[in-house]
Amino acid sequence: MYTRLFLLVGVCIRWLVFLVLSAVVGGEAIGATPLGADAAAAAADVPQFERDILPLLEAKCFRCHGEDTRKAELDLRTVASMLQGGESGPAIVAGKPDDSPLYQMIHDGLMPPESTPDTRLSDLQVQLIHRWIERGAAEENRPSSKVERDDPAQSMSVHTVLPILLRNCTVCHGAHVREADLDLRTLAGMLKGGKSGAAIVPGDAENSLLVRRITVSEMPPLKQLIAFGVKPITPNELAAIRQWVDAGAPEGDWEPDIASTEPDPLVTDADRQFWAFQSPQVVAIPRVQGRAAIGNPIDAFVLQQLESHGLTFSPESDRATLMRRATFDLLGLPPSAEEVVAYLADTAPDAYERWIERLLASPRYGERWGRHWLDVVGYADSDGKREQDLFRQYGWRYRDYVVRAYNQDKSHDRFLLEQLAGDELAPYEPNTAVSPEVYDNLVATGFMRMAPDPTWAGPTNFVPDRLDVIADQMDILGSAVMGLTLKCARCHSHKFDPIPQRDYYRLTAVFKAAFDEYDWLKSNWEARLSKGIKSVRELPVALPHEVKDWQDRKTDREQKIAAAQSALETRKREAMAVQVERRLADKVPEELREAVRIMLRTPPDQRDRALQDLAARYEKELSITDKELAQSDMEFAQFEAASVTQTRAWEAEITSPPSIRGLWDRGDPSPTYMYRRGDYLTPGRIVGPGVPSVLTDGRTPFRVEPPHPGAKSTGRRLAFARWIVREDHPLTTRVYINRVWKHHFGSGLVRTLDNFGRAGAKPSHPELLDWLAREFMRGGRSTKHLHRLLVTSATYRQSSSVTPALAAKDPDNAYWSRMPMQRLSSDQLYDALLVVANRLVDRPGGRPDLVEVRNDGLSTPRAITGGWRRSLYVRQQRKIVATHFEVFDFPAMNPNCPERRDSTVALQALHLWNDALVQTLSDSFARELGRPAGTTARQQVALSIRSAYGREATEAELQAGARAIGQFADQWLAEHAADGLARDPQDTQQQAQQHALSLWCHALVNSAEFLYVD
Amino acid sequence: MSIESSLHRRGFFQHMAGGLCGASLAWLLEREAAGIQHASPSAPPAFDLKPRSPHLPVRARAVIHLFMNGGPSQMDLFDPKPMLDQLHGTDRFQKFAGEIENLGSVGTIMRSPFKFAQHGQSGMWMSDALPHLAQHVDDIAMIRSMQTTNLTHEPAIYLMQTGKMGPGRPSFGSWVVYGLGSENQNLPAYVVLDDPLGLPVNGIENWQAGFLPPQFQGTRFRSNGSPVLNLRADVARSAVLEDLERGVLAGLDRAHQAQRPFQPRLGARISNSELAARMQLEATDALDLSQETAATLESYGLNGEKTESYGRRCLIARRLVERGVRFVQLYINGQIWDNHSGLESGLKQACARTDQPIAALLTDLKQRGLLDETLVIWSSEFGRLPIAQIGAGEDPRTAGRDHNKNAFCCWLAGAGVKKGVVHGATDDLGFAAVENVVTVPDWHATTLQLMGLNHEHLFVEMNGLRERMTGVSPARVVREILA
Repeated sequence: MYTRLFLLVGVCIRWLVFLVLSAVVGGEAIGATPLGADAAAAAADVPQFERDILPLLEAKCFRCHGEDTRKAELDLRTVASMLQGGESGPAIVAGKPDDSPLYQMIHDGLMPPESTPDTRLSDLQVQLIHRWIERGAAEENRPSSKVERDDPAQSMSVHTVLPILLRNCTVCHGAHVREADLDLRTLAGMLKGGKSGAAIVPGDAENSLLVRRITVSEMPPLKQLIAFGVKPITPNELAAIRQWVDAGAPEGDWEPDIASTEPDPLVTDADRQFWAFQSPQVVAIPRVQGRAAIGNPIDAFVLQQLESHGLTFSPESDRATLMRRATFDLLGLPPSAEEVVAYLADTAPDAYERWIERLLASPRYGERWGRHWLDVVGYADSDGKREQDLFRQYGWRYRDYVVRAYNQDKSHDRFLLEQLAGDELAPYEPNTAVSPEVYDNLVATGFMRMAPDPTWAGPTNFVPDRLDVIADQMDILGSAVMGLTLKCARCHSHKFDPIPQRDYYRLTAVFKAAFDEYDWLKSNWEARLSKGIKSVRELPVALPHEVKDWQDRKTDREQKIAAAQSALETRKREAMAVQVERRLADKVPEELREAVRIMLRTPPDQRDRALQDLAARYEKELSITDKELAQSDMEFAQFEAASVTQTRAWEAEITSPPSIRGLWDRGDPSPTYMYRRGDYLTPGRIVGPGVPSVLTDGRTPFRVEPPHPGAKSTGRRLAFARWIVREDHPLTTRVYINRVWKHHFGSGLVRTLDNFGRAGAKPSHPELLDWLAREFMRGGRSTKHLHRLLVTSATYRQSSSVTPALAAKDPDNAYWSRMPMQRLSSDQLYDALLVVANRLVDRPGGRPDLVEVRNDGLSTPRAITGGWRRSLYVRQQRKIVATHFEVFDFPAMNPNCPERRDSTVALQALHLWNDALVQTLSDSFARELGRPAGTTARQQVALSIRSAYGREATEAELQAGARAIGQFADQWLAEHAADGLARDPQDTQQQAQQHALSLWCHALVNSAEFLYVD
Repeated sequence: MSIESSLHRRGFFQHMAGGLCGASLAWLLEREAAGIQHASPSAPPAFDLKPRSPHLPVRARAVIHLFMNGGPSQMDLFDPKPMLDQLHGTDRFQKFAGEIENLGSVGTIMRSPFKFAQHGQSGMWMSDALPHLAQHVDDIAMIRSMQTTNLTHEPAIYLMQTGKMGPGRPSFGSWVVYGLGSENQNLPAYVVLDDPLGLPVNGIENWQAGFLPPQFQGTRFRSNGSPVLNLRADVARSAVLEDLERGVLAGLDRAHQAQRPFQPRLGARISNSELAARMQLEATDALDLSQETAATLESYGLNGEKTESYGRRCLIARRLVERGVRFVQLYINGQIWDNHSGLESGLKQACARTDQPIAALLTDLKQRGLLDETLVIWSSEFGRLPIAQIGAGEDPRTAGRDHNKNAFCCWLAGAGVKKGVVHGATDDLGFAAVENVVTVPDWHATTLQLMGLNHEHLFVEMNGLRERMTGVSPARVVREILA
């Protein structure tokens, strides 16, 4: 009773609230729409599409989901187009508003995007849509369920079933493996069939072999699902195949979606207006007041902004500071003590410029700047993702290629062309030696093979695993080269940038002939397990001397093996003969022995009657097994064992031919389907190769031609690469020079190095960015030219000191009113430790050096003869990171590192203070200081400061240092007085001195000045 | 509300560049320091692990996560299936083919070699492989309907630890300490106690901070010897000489800093060196088990050969939680739960190593009143199949079970968790969860909720996107098991 009363009251209150709301909301928010004051009345009955819904959508949604523009491929103009939906599937589900994205998005305030009170839909309008969908989402006179769904055959095409076959069948009945002569990739292939006849009978699913084999679970073979990365075909999939065959197996009317001369409905010209999507502009060098301070045009741009904020350049750094800064920047190493002395003594006006030239000519330069590139491409020496973390046998070739390219100052366009499409630049033949140029072309494509990759083994080599590899690679391409967060568009159109999902898939279509999730190359690992695999992911080409070395070794070992085997056979025959004689003596009467010998020598089919009789009587008894032979002749047994061991060792030395880890076009790619919400099980439209529309004028088709006459290769990537390196490309050059700038100046002109889109940062100096871009072009895209410009600018030469005025006016150094003080990166620090200790082994290139892991988890690069090589050559196993690198922020490549972090944590202090390697290197450093006989403590301090800090010591430092060393020595002597007595006092004194120096050096490498660059 | 604003400030000011490999702490430091520089240039940076108020009323103050990687067999431990006895030996290959990793060794339906019984007031079923845990059923909430999306260890473990099937994202513990900070500034907020015998699958990636700053990463504590790597000098030095050197170093750094005012990073570096020194004391103390009674050591099994190692880690976990460590994660070496063969003996051994220590941990926490504020989680990455894994012609006693992503069990105990409840159910064979299915994102949302964190509000903004632990997957808090 009470309950009912409450209910009644409740209902009344709700009505009241509703009425009040209607009045207020209706009056304000809806007033502007054609709905007008009828809203409340309309709300009461069934909403009408044309009267109630259409005007609403027209006002709020059509701008982006209408006739000209169809964001997310969604057209909201008709019920049919809503049911058809966009890239995320249907926009409405008739009768189920809560399952309808249209309602969800509007209700949650996600649409219209960035809505203001003016553009947002009112609660009442939202309710209206809810009710309209709830009541069946009908269009007048036309029940929604029947909309354009009359003839199922009409909407079918070969692509109704092809994705199913690609997922589950074509791995064995496709491009490379053609079991039973059957190719299921095309309708023609299905009709032609294989050894057992046509795969399908159009119109008759029951009698189609394809359907029958699947129905009885004969295909795909259940026992081999994992080996081939396929799943059993589901009942739904089978039903789809049946339906399509029964409908006559229509080929259908379809064309891949590619850019045409028609305006693009998904991206507007307004979208293209954003600064980063416009080509770099010609800019005039600004006029500034402090013209005297200007070293080159860069300074004019920087000074202009400084002046506009009442600032000017900081004073120039002192010479030693500038030299140390430039040397670390360009080589990643500190200058040696001798270089510091020589440089400071060189007082010619162009001393700095000449020093820069020396740095740029050093082979260490390529190692340093190659490292920056390896970061953005995500270089690692292992595959990651799986526990085994498979070693990439040929990964180092790409690393060396990058170093070489920087040392040669390869023009940046060529550098990108090679990495994106090196295989299409010049013809090559697998299994041969190639020229250095072709070698570089092919090795460069390793760029597209950097992503973590678990697909070398069955359980992680299914289509989604492969798609993840491709997605990571697209992410790398986007962040490293294009400055776009492309990966967002894998599942839906980009939230911030005008990159429709279609454009992501067009891009994957560019790579399809090499990266085909339905035609995935087997790994070397699998090839080793199964002899039948012919084509693997490593390309067997190499430089002539490598091929010759490999061939020579192979021939040599094969000959040795053959010789050893024949020697073994001879020995065996002899040993066997001895044993046979013994048995003869034992088992056969003397008079028959000669006849038996004849019998044994005669092949069975040539024996006459008498010999056959003898054989029947004695042959079995006289036959000696290998085991018996080994037991009765120890000497032979030992010989045989040694021979087998040796042969195995030789066999192991016959490796597979030297190969390249690259990417190459294999022609004949599968179609590229857009995957709804990124799910490979919901393939949508077919797209062809293309580039992001927003970076084009939207009216120019993407032209693809075979790279050379008769090429098997599609030419898609070459076309893409040529587009990427176009002079007027809005992003490629800007993104690259912004990175170079960052590595000299601490942060980019665009602070978000990998994101030039709307969610990224705006350039702090847009004109400077464009001027640099055009100057870079003018200089033939030479990176070294760019370095010269940057490091000789007055901006770069500024001091890093911060005054109270600077801290107040430019706290973030947003205007470059000074140079930032920077911490050495993990690699710079490691290399610097090796340099001051004089333990750096200069042996560039080749296979990386191992990292050893101690039981407690400490991982350290293993020493080689003479010391250690640069950090660049330490093996970069994803799951075994040397502790030093881990602690000092060496990046985990997941999949790449567009910008390193630079943390300050307690473990860094602990590491430098307590680590055994740092201690060892401090000892070496001390030995270097003590090497010239008869040096005083003051001289040693002077030398140590020159080595560690790259400058001359002050008088105070000389005194303090000498005093510290004296104290250390006294204390050491006091502690070791007892054991010192037994030895030569002079020797003890020397030891004390050495230990004291070592402590001093350890303190130096632990100090802030060693770790930071001004 | 101040609770909200303190966390939201954390959530919102971090507009990170997406490409940063892990957020740049120094960058954050500079941002914060820049804001305070005008007032006091020497003020310490504010980005740290100071305790923060959660979104929601606090249930658990700390977490002890017992990660049982390998895939413990649910139908042999927690989820009895009498149907398996009836159907023992029958063939189900066709039905399961697409869900089997090792197609070369597919056997028939296999009954459990263990006996199940009901325990406690709640009458929860548990097999006789876990006699000690069976005494605690009235303290735990059992989820029998867990499901994941991959049947291979690595991706499944990544998913369980980070919410995504690959490396590169913050681990569960990192999210928790990012959201809540730590109550002890002298110890890491997130401590990992890995097995001295070896790392789990995915190794150190299990506790990485991904795109969060590195102080949210798990710090490995060794349960023997020096707890933290490089906490003590690798090459022995005399204390006096070390102090002398420290003095010299301090002099060098003072002179360096004096010439460089307004460089917050130099200050941060010095305060971190001080933290390193404090950590040295406190971490050593936390691991000093000589402070425990003989009875305690005995109860954790420190005197038993099989239980010593895991027992030690369980006991250390309690000591860390007592000291205000937010998140402690225990691992076991290799794959002791991955019983592809020898299911019976393998499971017995795995239980023999862990059952008593875990039960002792629950008892100990309860006695000290810590269980009310500590969440204990027992979980794995997937479960196992109801059919045997065995090669043709092999001895049936060597049979194991292959991986199963469609059903597995997890349990929780302690703060905020209902006691003695079972949630969800699997089909008659235990092949797939069918009732009240709990997905991995559901599980993450639930455990975060127990820590007072709303999974939708705990995020880092990157490239304009709010990156959350549960990502874009729909996630539901399993309220049925919340007290």
